[in-house]
Amino acid sequence: MSTTHAKAAKAFLSDKVNAEWHDKTLYMVRAKRDRLSHAIPEWEELRHTARDLKLYSNSHLPELIEEFEKNATANGCHVHYAKDAEEYCSIIEEILRNHGVHKLVKSKSMLSEECNLNPYLIEKGYEVIESDLGERILQLLNVRPSHIVMPAIHLKRETVGKLFEEKLGSQEGNSDPTYLTHQARKALRQDFLNADAAMTGGNFAVASTGEVIVCTNEGNADMGMSCQKLNICAFGIDKIIPDLESLGIFTRLLARSATGQPITTYTSHFGRPHKGGEQHFIIVDNGRSKILGMPQHHKVMNCIRCGACMNTCPVYRRSGGYSYSYFIPGPIGINLGMLHDPQKHSGNVSACSLCLSCSYVCPAMVDLGEQIYIWRQKLDGLGQANSQKKMMSKGIQFLMERPSLFHSALKMAPIANKMPRFVLYNGLNAWGKERELPHFAKQSFEAWWKQNHQKKNTK
Amino acid sequence: MNSKEFIINSLRENIKERFPRPEVNISHIVYPDKLKQFIEISTGVGGRAEVLGEGESIDDAVRRLFPDAGRIACNLLEVTCATYNPDYIDTPAELNGTDLVICRGIFGVCENAAVYFEQEYLQRSIYFISESLLILLPKDQLVDTMHDAYRRVPNEPPGEFRCFISGPSKTADIEQALVMGAHGARQATVLLV
Repeated sequence: MSTTHAKAAKAFLSDKVNAEWHDKTLYMVRAKRDRLSHAIPEWEELRHTARDLKLYSNSHLPELIEEFEKNATANGCHVHYAKDAEEYCSIIEEILRNHGVHKLVKSKSMLSEECNLNPYLIEKGYEVIESDLGERILQLLNVRPSHIVMPAIHLKRETVGKLFEEKLGSQEGNSDPTYLTHQARKALRQDFLNADAAMTGGNFAVASTGEVIVCTNEGNADMGMSCQKLNICAFGIDKIIPDLESLGIFTRLLARSATGQPITTYTSHFGRPHKGGEQHFIIVDNGRSKILGMPQHHKVMNCIRCGACMNTCPVYRRSGGYSYSYFIPGPIGINLGMLHDPQKHSGNVSACSLCLSCSYVCPAMVDLGEQIYIWRQKLDGLGQANSQKKMMSKGIQFLMERPSLFHSALKMAPIANKMPRFVLYNGLNAWGKERELPHFAKQSFEAWWKQNHQKKNTK
Repeated sequence: MNSKEFIINSLRENIKERFPRPEVNISHIVYPDKLKQFIEISTGVGGRAEVLGEGESIDDAVRRLFPDAGRIACNLLEVTCATYNPDYIDTPAELNGTDLVICRGIFGVCENAAVYFEQEYLQRSIYFISESLLILLPKDQLVDTMHDAYRRVPNEPPGEFRCFISGPSKTADIEQALVMGAHGARQATVLLV
């Protein structure tokens, strides 16, 4: 009965100590988010306004894209359009090629993960350096992020210590986070200075000013974009917001939801190129416009990529980012994966207890859990329904349509209480894995009701 | 059809319902003592903010706050303790190794200790490459929230770059342990003048 997610989660859970640490650490981030959001009396008003602003901007994108382009061009920037991942990669490669770039220093961009930019550029002979500490660690390990905001959350300090020992020449056996961070600072500083171009994603693109806003704590986007004169920012069409008034709403929500901070250290507005430099903006669709045409799913495009839904998700916390088949994990990743390729990613929709905590913490009020439920209803139509579950549903239907059989089955249920353990706790009974089965009551509720109340009422 | 037309056409085909623009009218927090709130939250984000002492010059404050700073970058006339003017330097590599940069902030935000500034140095990197950052901020230029903040940010970008900075550069990417000084300034101080 196991889905791809459940099978992968089993591997994650085999290291019990690490799994417990992962769960607790992410819950700590969730608790920080709660403390900060509860300190803002107007929090719910902010969420509602953020949702409405996103619904507005996403449904007015043709106009807002034109407005962004007009203003960015007036600011002296170049605006490119990429309809898909392939075009996104080739535009970037062309800019680099035209400027004789060998080395690109990159700030974090989930869009570049989505479009597999790094392998594309590396294959063509470019040196690509990730500069966010977590992303750099993952790049040196040659693995993918396991969280969109805390990409290396699944790794322990000892792993990083060993890695830096080998790759950066840090002290043997020193895995102190402060020491390791400053080792990376020292090494990456040289990369910022001796690269030939810098690139970043974007958190928001403001139509009325033609600027791209990047929010980081490390300042890596700023170091790259300020040390290099050839600058590239690429972002999905869903990052476009109307104006600075809207940005006031989103900057209040983003960091509080993401990491439980009142704001990120840097909220940078990239508006004009360096003197003697170039600023390129790449606006990417890659399937987003089609999602806006799906009435049950278009709200996914409200997402501002804060990761709050992951931190709160009881399944994500206990199964880790690598248990999901799509590169974005957690509730938002389940949805984006299904929208991207339902055949390939249907194994993730089981990774949800339908507790809807994700929907309650989402700063842009994406109905994440509700949409996962909708996807589950669609599984059969996609040919992805689990055959065992289908058989069981049919069995239950058979029983429900035959009241006398149903009642006698109910009467017999308590027999299970006295069955020897090996009959109940084995590979055939998924409900007996990692948990104790509940005891069946001696009497069914219906029987109890008839005995105690119906009699009284008829008296 | 070029890709821009492709995207715009696809959007026009797909968007089924056009939602109205909501009115943004948030009745937000107001801090009765803005200065106190700003100083407190600055500590909260790992930085510090303090009011210039009575009779104290900016130079005095710089020496008091950064006694070990050797290489100090500044182009402001009122600061004489600077050891060089970064505007006379051509490359970011030459700015590397700066202990302290002193710059001007335009206003501060009380809910999050963010200070808004517009690029005044020719080299944008000086704001990030320096080990420490000292922002001079007029103490009567404090607003409550980001709503007020963005009402004060001009729609037309005045220069190359503008930014809000709240505290020092930081990361928690290794085991969620908070470390100051990831790539940018390890220390950020706001001097309220």
